[in-house]
Amino acid sequence: MARGGGYFKTTYAADLALVDTRLRRRALAAFVVALLVLPRVASPFILDLVAQTALAAIGALALNLLTGLAGQVSLGHAGFIAAGAFTTGVLIENGVRSPLVALPAAAVVGAVLGIVVGIPALRLKGLYLALGTLALHHVVLYACAEFQNHWGANTGVSIPPPAIGPWVLKGAVAWYYTLTLAAALVLALSVNLRRSRAGRAWMAIRDREIAAESVGIDVARYKVLAFVWSSAITAVAGGLFAYHRAFVSVEAFGFFLAVEYIAMIIIGGLGSALGAVLGAAFVTLLPHGLDALVAGLRLSGGAAYYLFPLKFGAFGLLMAVFLLFEPQGLVGIWRRVRNWFALWPLRYRPLRSAS
Amino acid sequence: MVLTIDGLTLEFEGLHPLTGVSMSVDDGALAALVGPNGAGKTCVLNCIGGFYTPKAGRIRFGGAMIQGLAPHRIAARGIARTFQFVELFRGMSVLDNILLGRHRHMRSGLLAGGIFWGRSRREETLHRRRVEEIIEFLELERYRTELVASLPFGVQKLVAIGRALAMEPTLLLLDEPSTGMNREEKENLARFLLRIKHDLRTTMLWVEHDMELVGDLADTVTVLDFGRKIAEGPPAEVLRDPLVAEAYLGRAYVRERGAG
Ligand SMILES: Nc1ncnc2c1ncn2[C@@H]1O[C@H](COP(=O)(O)OP(=O)(O)OP(=O)(O)O)[C@@H](O)[C@H]1O
Ligand SMILES: [Mg+2]
Repeated sequence: MARGGGYFKTTYAADLALVDTRLRRRALAAFVVALLVLPRVASPFILDLVAQTALAAIGALALNLLTGLAGQVSLGHAGFIAAGAFTTGVLIENGVRSPLVALPAAAVVGAVLGIVVGIPALRLKGLYLALGTLALHHVVLYACAEFQNHWGANTGVSIPPPAIGPWVLKGAVAWYYTLTLAAALVLALSVNLRRSRAGRAWMAIRDREIAAESVGIDVARYKVLAFVWSSAITAVAGGLFAYHRAFVSVEAFGFFLAVEYIAMIIIGGLGSALGAVLGAAFVTLLPHGLDALVAGLRLSGGAAYYLFPLKFGAFGLLMAVFLLFEPQGLVGIWRRVRNWFALWPLRYRPLRSAS
Repeated sequence: MVLTIDGLTLEFEGLHPLTGVSMSVDDGALAALVGPNGAGKTCVLNCIGGFYTPKAGRIRFGGAMIQGLAPHRIAARGIARTFQFVELFRGMSVLDNILLGRHRHMRSGLLAGGIFWGRSRREETLHRRRVEEIIEFLELERYRTELVASLPFGVQKLVAIGRALAMEPTLLLLDEPSTGMNREEKENLARFLLRIKHDLRTTMLWVEHDMELVGDLADTVTVLDFGRKIAEGPPAEVLRDPLVAEAYLGRAYVRERGAG
C-alpha cells in the first residue's frame, strides 16, 4: 500500500513484486539492517530468544504450507520434528558429526515420512485426518523412544555442536545468525510458493477440490507433495533443534509441541507466511512474558503454583479467541493498523486489501 | 464431431439418472442440453468431465475414449467446465482464480516456484498476460484483485467462465451459466457466448434453463427427461415439439399438485 497513492505499475513483473513501494523497500531494508546489527546491542539472552523464534518460525512456516496453503490439517508436526532431531542423534551416535550430512538426512527422513502419511491421508479429511496424523506422531515417538532406550540413555542424548571441518558452530551470536538466515530462506520459499503455480494449486485444493480437478490439477499428487515438503522442512528444523539444544529426548516432542505449532499458525493467521512468523514469535515469547508478569506481581509461592497450568491453558484460550474474533490472526491486525496509518487522517476503506 | 456420447447409462444405488443417452457435438457448435429439473443434465457433464463413472456407454472426445479417466486427465485433454453452483476458489482473487485455469499450460514445479527466479518468474508474467486478455474479454477489469467470495453471483459466474477459458479448451462445458443473472447480465452472457463461439472458435455443450436464450443462440438442442433423450435437433423445431412441452409442463403440473 502506497502512502497517499500515486504508484502506478506498468509491467506485470512489477505487479508480482513482493516489496512494491519505496516505503516498503525502506522498511524491509531497515528491518534487515536491524537484524544484522542486533548482536552488537542485545544481550545473549535476547539473541537466544530471537534464535528460538527463528527456529520455531521454520516449523510454523512448514506447517503453514501444509495446513494454511494446502488445507491439510496435521497434528503430527511434533512427530516430524522428532524424526529430524533423532536422525541427527542417531547419526551422531554412529560417529557422523557433520551437519552437511545430518540435515539432508533429516530432510530425506522427513520426506519419506511425508509420503508415508500423505498417501493414506488422501482418503481422510478434516477431523479424521487430524487423528490419522496424530497416530503418526505416536508411532514416530515410539520409534524414537526405542532408539533412546537402545542407547541406554533414559533421559536423552547430548549432541555436540555442529562442525564443518575446523569450523564449529557455537555461541549465541553464531546461532542467532544461522537460525535467522535459515528462517529467512524458508520464509522466502513460502512467499514465493504463494505467488507461483504449485502454491496456487495447493490453495485451489484447500478452497475447492473438485474445481481444482476440473482445471487439471492432480489433487492426489499435490496433496502428497504438500506432506513431503512440509515434513522435509520440519525435519530439518528438528535437526537444527537438536544441535541448538545440544540434546535430544523424546520428552521434548510430546503432543503439546504439536499444539504449540498449530497455535502459531492460527494465532498468526492461517495461510499467511508473515502470520506464521508472527505466530512463532508470539508463542515463543509468551511463556517468557508470563514469567515476567508473575515475577513482576511478586506472588507468593502458592499463587505461582496455580499460574503454572494457566500458562498451558493460555494457548487453547488464545486459539479459541483468535478463531472466534480474529480469524485472520495477528497479520489481520497488522494489516488493519497499516491501512489505518496509510490513510490517516482520512478514514476510507483501502481500495485493495490484498497482500 | 468433437464429442460423441453413445448409450450413456449411469446408476446410483438403484437410481438411474441416465439411461442410454446418445448425442454428439459438432466442431465449433454451441450445443444446448435442456430438460426439466432432475432430468440428468448435470450428470451428463459429470460423466464427460470424469467426476462420475458411467455404468455403461462410451464417451469419445477428439478420437479417444475418455470415460473412466480421472477428472484432471480429462481436463488435460482440453475439456473445461463451469459448475451449476459456481465452485470458485473462494479464498482467492479473481486474478488467481483465472490463473489457475492456466495451470495445465504452465510448467514450474515446487522448487522452481519456491525460488521464483528466471524461468518460473518469466512464466508467471507470460501467463499473467493471457489472463489479462481473458479479464478484458469478459469485462472483469474492475474486479481483478477482489476476492471472489465478495462478488455478486452474476460476476462469479463470469469468473468461472474466465477460469475455464484460461484453459484454452477444445470443448467447454457450461452448467446453467445464466441462472441467477438479471436481464442485463444475461444479455452480456449471450454476447460472450457468441464471441467465444465466433472469435475463440471453442465448441460448447451448454446446459440451460432459459429457453429464450437457447432459442436465440443454440445451434442444436438436446432434450433430456428422466434420464432419457426425448428430442434433438435445431432449436426452432425442438422447442415446438409437443413431447418437449409436455415434459416441462407435465413436470410443472406435478410439482403444483405436489405442493398443494
Ligand atoms: N451423486 C449422486 N448420487 C445420487 N443421485 C444423484 C447424484 N447426482 C445426481 N443424482 C440424481 O440424478 C438425477 C439427475 O440429476 P442432475 O443433477 O443431473 O439433474 P439436472 O438435470 O442437472 O437438474 P437441475 O436442472 O435441477 O440441475 C436426480 O434425480 C439426482 O437426484
Ligand atoms: Mg443440474
